[in-house]
Amino acid sequence: MNEREPVLSVRNLSKTYMQGKIPVHALTDVSFDVKKGEFISIVGPSGSGKSTLLSMMGLLDKPTSGSVFIDGMEVTKAKEGDAPKIRREKIGFVFQRFNLIPTLTALENVDIAMRFARVSKHKRKERSVELLTQMGLEGRMKHKPSELSGGEQQRVAIARAMSNHPAIILADEPTGEVDTKTRDMIVALLKELCEKGQTILVVTHDMDVAEKTSRRITMRDGKIASDTQQ
Amino acid sequence: MLDLIIRSITQRKLRTGLTMFGIGLGIFAVMVMGGMSEYFTLHVDRGLSLMADKIHVLPESGFFGGSLDDSKARKVKSIPGVLDAYGLLWMPYDVESLGFFGNFVVGLEPEKQAATLKDIKLTEGRLLVPGDGYRTVIGSNVARQLKLHTGDEIEVKSKQFVRASTITHSRNFTVVGIMEFTGTDFDYIIGVPLDTARKFYDMEDTLTYIWVIPEPDVDADDLAKRIELNVENVATFSPNQLRKQIEQSMVVVSLITLSSAVLAAIIGGLSIMNTMLMSVSERTKEFGLMKAMGAEIRDILYLTVGEAALMGILGGVLGIAGGAVFIYYMNEYLASMGAVIFAITPRLVVIALLFATLLGIMSGSIPAYRAARMKPMEAMRRE
Repeated sequence: MNEREPVLSVRNLSKTYMQGKIPVHALTDVSFDVKKGEFISIVGPSGSGKSTLLSMMGLLDKPTSGSVFIDGMEVTKAKEGDAPKIRREKIGFVFQRFNLIPTLTALENVDIAMRFARVSKHKRKERSVELLTQMGLEGRMKHKPSELSGGEQQRVAIARAMSNHPAIILADEPTGEVDTKTRDMIVALLKELCEKGQTILVVTHDMDVAEKTSRRITMRDGKIASDTQQ
Repeated sequence: MLDLIIRSITQRKLRTGLTMFGIGLGIFAVMVMGGMSEYFTLHVDRGLSLMADKIHVLPESGFFGGSLDDSKARKVKSIPGVLDAYGLLWMPYDVESLGFFGNFVVGLEPEKQAATLKDIKLTEGRLLVPGDGYRTVIGSNVARQLKLHTGDEIEVKSKQFVRASTITHSRNFTVVGIMEFTGTDFDYIIGVPLDTARKFYDMEDTLTYIWVIPEPDVDADDLAKRIELNVENVATFSPNQLRKQIEQSMVVVSLITLSSAVLAAIIGGLSIMNTMLMSVSERTKEFGLMKAMGAEIRDILYLTVGEAALMGILGGVLGIAGGAVFIYYMNEYLASMGAVIFAITPRLVVIALLFATLLGIMSGSIPAYRAARMKPMEAMRRE
C-alpha cells in the first residue's frame, strides 16, 4: 500500500478567519496524505474545521498558509483563472443537499459537468448513460430532481462527480439528508467505487459512515486529533 | 449551451413573457416613431428632389394672405438668370379646412406639367393637355382616399364671399390620370388646368405661388435675392433655404424618434435587468455549483448574458411584428382619411432588432457580472 503515490497531500495547512476583530483559527497546521483508491473519512464535531479543510482542498477557499497538492500539483498556488480547470479535471464534488440543477433531468445534470470540460456531445451522452446505469438509475434518466428520491438524487450527484474522471471525489456530508437505509446504500456505493480505484474523501459527523471507511481522520479545534486505519 | 439558455427562459414562462412584453413595448415605440421618421425622411428626400431645383416665390405677407398675379409672373420671368417662371393656384380641396393639411386643388398650366411633376409617373391614364376643361390628374392618396379611377368624377367645391354671405359652387371634374405614390405633397393634389381653376374659384388673375427655374450655372440663392429686389411685395425661397427649413423640421422629428428610443431603452432595459437580477439571485446556488463543477467565468457570462440577449431579441421580434401590424393598419386607416405618415424600411427593422439585442446584452451584463463573480462556497451556502 505504501508504495502508491499520494493523490492528495495537505501540508501545514492553516486558515484564520476574522470574526469582527477577533481572529478565529479554523485550521492550524494540518498535514496528511491520501493515496490512490483510499476511502477516507474526516470526522469531528461541528466547528472542528472539517468543512474548512474540505473547502481548501476543493479550491473553493484560500488557505492562510500551507499547501494542498493534487496529483503532485500545488493547487493552492494556482492562479484564480486556473481554478476552474483544476476543479473540473481533478476534483469531483458531492454535497449534502445533492445540489442538482432543478430544471435539468438526471441525464442533463451529469452531462452539464462535462460541458464545462468541453467534452463532445456524443461522448457526454455516452458517459452520462454509462455512469447513471452504473448507479442503477437507468430507468430514471429523464426525471427531474424533484421526481427523484433523496437516494436517487445523491446517486445522480455521485455520477456527476465521477463524470470527468477526477483524481479525487470530495464528499461533504453525503448522507446528511437521507434515511439510514439510503445512507447505507450510498456508503456501499462509494466503497464499491473505491474498490475500483477511485479515491474518495468523505467529511461527515456520522460515525456509522466513518466506520465503514478504510481510514478515519478525527479533527478537533482545527487540528488532527487522530488518524487511524481501520 | 444555447439549449440551457432556452431551458432557463422557457422554464419561467410568465416572467419571460412579461419581460418580452416590456421590451416589445419599447421596440414597438421605436418602430412607430421610427416609422414616422422614416416616412418623413423619404418624403423630404423625394420632395427635395422634386421641388428643390426651383425658387419658390410667394406673396410677402404669407401663404394665403397676399396675392400674386400674372404681371408679377411676367416680371419675374424677365429677370436675367430666370429660365422659366410660371404660376400655380393652390386651393384647399376641403373648403372648410384651414388649408395646411389634406388635399389641394392645384391649378397649373398643362404646358408646365413636365417641369412641375418632373419624373413622377402615372399609374393610370394621362397628363392634362391644353384645352382640358373640367378634367383632373390626381395624386395617389387622393385616389386611394376617394377610391377613384380614371373616368370617375370628383366633386370640387368653391366658396365665394358675396357681401355678408358665402355662395358655395360645386363642379364635377373627370379624372383623366392618377399619379404614382411619391411620399410627397404631390400625393395630395388634384391637378386641374390653371384657367379652369381660376374661372371656378373666381380668381381671374390670382396666383398662389410662382415657381422659378433658374438658368443652368446661375446661383439660385443670388437669383432669389435679385427677384426679391426687383419685384415688389414678394418673398422667395431658394432651394438652399427650402432645404434648410426642411432640415430644421427634420431635427424635431429626429428628436421625437430619439426620445422614444431612449424611453424604450429605459422601459425595456429596466425590465430585462429586473428579470435577470431576479433570475440570477434565484440561481445563485446554481451558478456556485457550476463554478464548483469547473465552469469558467465566461461560461457563466455566456449563460446569463445570452439569456438576457435572447430575451431582448425575442422581445424585439415581438415589438417589430406588433409595430409592423400597427403601422400597416394605421396606414390603411390614415390613407382612407387622406394621409399616410408611416413607412417601414429594412433599415428600421435592422436597427430595431439590433437595438433590442444590445438592450438585452447591456442590461443583462450587470446581473451576469454578479453571477460570474460569485465565490462558489458563498453561493453554495446560501439557502
